[in-house]
Formats: sequence, C-alpha cells, structure tokens
Amino acid sequence: MGSGLQGLLPIKLFSQGGGILLAALLVLSSGITVSTCVNLYCRKPAWQEATGVLLASINLLFILGFLWICWFHWQIYAKLPLELPENLSGWVNSQLEIINSNSDYGMPLYNPADPPRYRIPPWIENEKYYFWFMCYALMALLVHFRLQAHRFRAVLHLFLAVQVAVLFWGVDPFNRPLPQFFSEITPLYGAGPSLMQQAGYFMRIYPKMIFYYNAEYMWFHPPLLFISYGSITIMFITSVFMLIKRDLETEKIGYGYAKLGFFMLTVGMLLGYPWALKAWGPNWWWDPKICSSLMMWAVFSTYLHTRLYANKKSMWYFTAFLGIICFLAMIFTFLTSFYFPGEHTFQ
Amino acid sequence: MKLKSSYDFYLILATTLVLSAISLISIYGMFYFKFVQIQQMAPPLKIMFMNRMNAIVAPFIICLILLLGICVPKRLLPTAWLNRITAILLTCVVVTGFLYGVKASLFFILAASLVLQSIVLVMALAGSRNLHFHKKGYWVRFGSSLIHLGLIIFILDLFFYENKTVHLLLFWVTTGASILGMLFCFYAESVVNLIAGRQPASNESIT
Repeated sequence: MGSGLQGLLPIKLFSQGGGILLAALLVLSSGITVSTCVNLYCRKPAWQEATGVLLASINLLFILGFLWICWFHWQIYAKLPLELPENLSGWVNSQLEIINSNSDYGMPLYNPADPPRYRIPPWIENEKYYFWFMCYALMALLVHFRLQAHRFRAVLHLFLAVQVAVLFWGVDPFNRPLPQFFSEITPLYGAGPSLMQQAGYFMRIYPKMIFYYNAEYMWFHPPLLFISYGSITIMFITSVFMLIKRDLETEKIGYGYAKLGFFMLTVGMLLGYPWALKAWGPNWWWDPKICSSLMMWAVFSTYLHTRLYANKKSMWYFTAFLGIICFLAMIFTFLTSFYFPGEHTFQ
Repeated sequence: MKLKSSYDFYLILATTLVLSAISLISIYGMFYFKFVQIQQMAPPLKIMFMNRMNAIVAPFIICLILLLGICVPKRLLPTAWLNRITAILLTCVVVTGFLYGVKASLFFILAASLVLQSIVLVMALAGSRNLHFHKKGYWVRFGSSLIHLGLIIFILDLFFYENKTVHLLLFWVTTGASILGMLFCFYAESVVNLIAGRQPASNESIT
C-alpha cells in the first residue's frame, strides 16, 4: 500500500485494533471447540451455561469488530475524496459527457467544490466473510437458546469455531484491509503522477466507484445473500439431525430459517438484476454465477415444496436430503466466483 | 379427497423433477462457459451462446409454467374438471408450439396462467372458501398466490427484454409481488397470532 495512503488513513490503527479483536474471537471460539468436543462425545450435556456465555461473548466481539470496520469505512469516506487538480476538471467532464451520451446510465459530472467520495459498504472483499460469519453467529446464538439438545448445540458451535478459524487464518479483513480497492486507487495517491496520468487514473477508477463501490444496490444485494447463507447453514445442520432422528422441534427450527433464507435469497437475487443491467449492460445472462445462483434457488424452491409433505416418512427424509443439497449448492455457488470466469469472478 | 391429495403430491414431485432438470442445465451452462471461454468471445458469439442456452432451458420453463398452470386451477376446480382443463391446456401448448414455435407456446401458457392466477389472487383476497389450498390461513393463501403471480410475471417479463421501460416496470411489479407474497406467506400469520395471543396456526406444523 502506498505511503501516501498510509498518511491519509489510520490503516495501522485499524489493523492493530482488528487484530486484537480477532485474536480474542479465536480464544473464545477455542473454548467453544473444547465444549463442542466434550458434548459430542458425552451422552449428557456439559458446560451448557458456560457455552451460552461464550457464544454471547463471541457475538459481542463480532459486533464490535463490525463497528470497527464501519468506522474504517467512514474514515475512507471522510479522508479520501477523489480529488483532481482544478485545471483537469474541465477535460474530465468533457470526457464524462461523451461517455454519458452513449450510455443508458450516466455518471455524475466531476464537481471540484464537492469531489466524489467512496461510500463503501462493510461487506466487500474479505469483509464479506466477516459479515457472513457474524450473521451465522447471531443465528447460532438464537438457536442455541431455542433448542436444548446438547449434540445439536455442539454441531452449531463447531460450525462457528470453523468459521472463526477461517477468518483468522484465511480471510482476515483487518490485517490487509481492502487489498483490491487500495491497489486500484494507490496510483492516484502515489508520489507525483503527471496531470495526464492523474486524468487517466481518474477515468479508470471513477466508473467503478459509481457502478460498484457507491452503487445503491451494493447496500442490499450482497448482505441479503450473506444473511441467506447464514440461514442455509442452520438449515443444513437441522437437516442432518432430521436424517438421524424424526424430531419435530428440530424440523420447525430448520423450516423457520429456511423461510428466512429463501426470502433473503430471492430478494437479494432480484435486486441484483437491475444492478447488473446498469453496471454490465445486457449480455450477462447465463454467466456462471447466475447459473449457479439459479440452480441454488431451484433446489431451495424444491426443498420448500417437498417440505409441505414432510409428514410422510419418505418425504421427511427427502426434505432433509434436499436441505443438505441446498447447503452444498450454496458452497458451490460461492466457490463459483473463484473457479469460473465471468462478471462475478474473483479470479 | 384422497385423490386430490395425491394429485397435489404428484404435482409437487413433477415440480421437483423439472426444477432439478433446470439445475442440471445451469451446471452444464457453467462448465460450457468456462471451457469454451465465452467471456473472451465477441458479443455476437456471446449472444449465440445465450440463445442456445435459452433454447435448451425453454422446454423446462414451459413444463414449470405448465405445472404452475395446473396448480393454479387446482385451487379453483374439482379434480374431474381439473383433468379436463389440464388436457385442454396441454393440447393448446403442444398445438401452439407446433404451429408457431416454442416462444409462442411459452407465451400462451404464461398468459393463461396469468389470467388464472389473477382470479385466484382476487378470490384469496376476498377470502373465498371455494379455493383449494394445501395450507390454511387467509394470509398464507394470499401470500402464496402473490408469489406464484410474481413468478409468472417475471418469466413473462423476459419477453419484454428489449423494451427497457416496460421490462423494468414489470420487473419491479414482480419484485413487489414476490416480497409481499413471501412476507404474507411466511410471517403475516405468525404476526397475527402473536397480536391475538393465539398458538401458531397448524399450517406452520407438518403434523
């Protein structure tokens, strides 16, 4: 990251504070892992109250970390305006007018008195994992207090512990914050680019600012999907337990989260549609991510339809099986962005 | 009554099969996209790919809408009449497809479903007891009708893809109907019960 940006933003402070939070999360989730192992092994419940306290503390830390991320984004908004030298604004605006005249969705002209600012939602790049896992943690806490079965609780906690481990060792949002974003804007804030270079950088990053970072859909499309992912994870765990035992209370919890997940998934996907038209134009249909999302939605719809007949023994197990397939479809859909090319790719 | 229930059950199974087929086509589309490197092709070739995939999926969309077309009058008619209506719809779809192509056939079944679903929605809204729903409860029925209407309009909207104003307007109608439908279907009954201090309705339980 450029030294210019280091001076403008409290990146070091953000990383240090976040590092402490994440380490505390890891310690607490280690405690929960021990409880998980004991409860999975023993026939009788153990340390249930202590585990509840640990789970509540993990949630509190998750929320604190999320607020910390929001604060950092506020710093980006306040301290990182996309400024240009005054004599460039006329040229930049003439270029924007040419682009706007050939496009259905135009970009606002550059106003030197009020330069554009980044309004980045707290769920992009590695932060999306943080948000997703935080949603799951909140749901796990609610389910923990609804269902007393200690083995069910243990599996619920095991998933949370794995997610915290993935955050700590794999996708830490605090250690190297927003690497893609900063790699894009660093040249503009680097040491002395020429006027033409500045204009070139601006014309490269401004459309992405308008259609991606500052897009209003960014505040709805991704978070709704991540809430849905959290719900599907709960549904998966209940489905696994439905295969083991025909317990109505477990099924009821699973169905409650299936409804929430389906609602969020459908609305999230629908809200991605006008955004895609605006940002990518018309030729994105049958993009791999769209295909996998459609597939996941179809599986989820099937689950909700078969669930109507779950009072039949065969349909009970088929519904549970579909709940598991739905979770696998979700993982597959998420990983699609890493393996398949297309508009959604992380490659 | 038993026959009616098994009719519902087989419709659900058929829907499951069609949705599974659409899932498999989606997976095929993904791998084809990757291995042929569609993203690096010129726009006309990309459009050819999209048209080809549309053609592959169209029969299954027709099946899905046909099933929906059967599901909708199922709520209105006794089984004997339902069989007749299904046979008529099926014949019309096949004849239209044979004479005017798959697109016209899809358009026909969508239009028929839209009319029927609108009738169901109005009847559900009026609290009609002549409707046959698997689930009980005013809000659940109303919500379910709205969700299915939203799905029909969404697919119908794809016909207006090139007319941006109509396309986006219909899209927002779809989105509104789906959101309201899911809210009513999934949560309204619980909210009403909570306010009235009643136990959750039986439609929430599978027993």
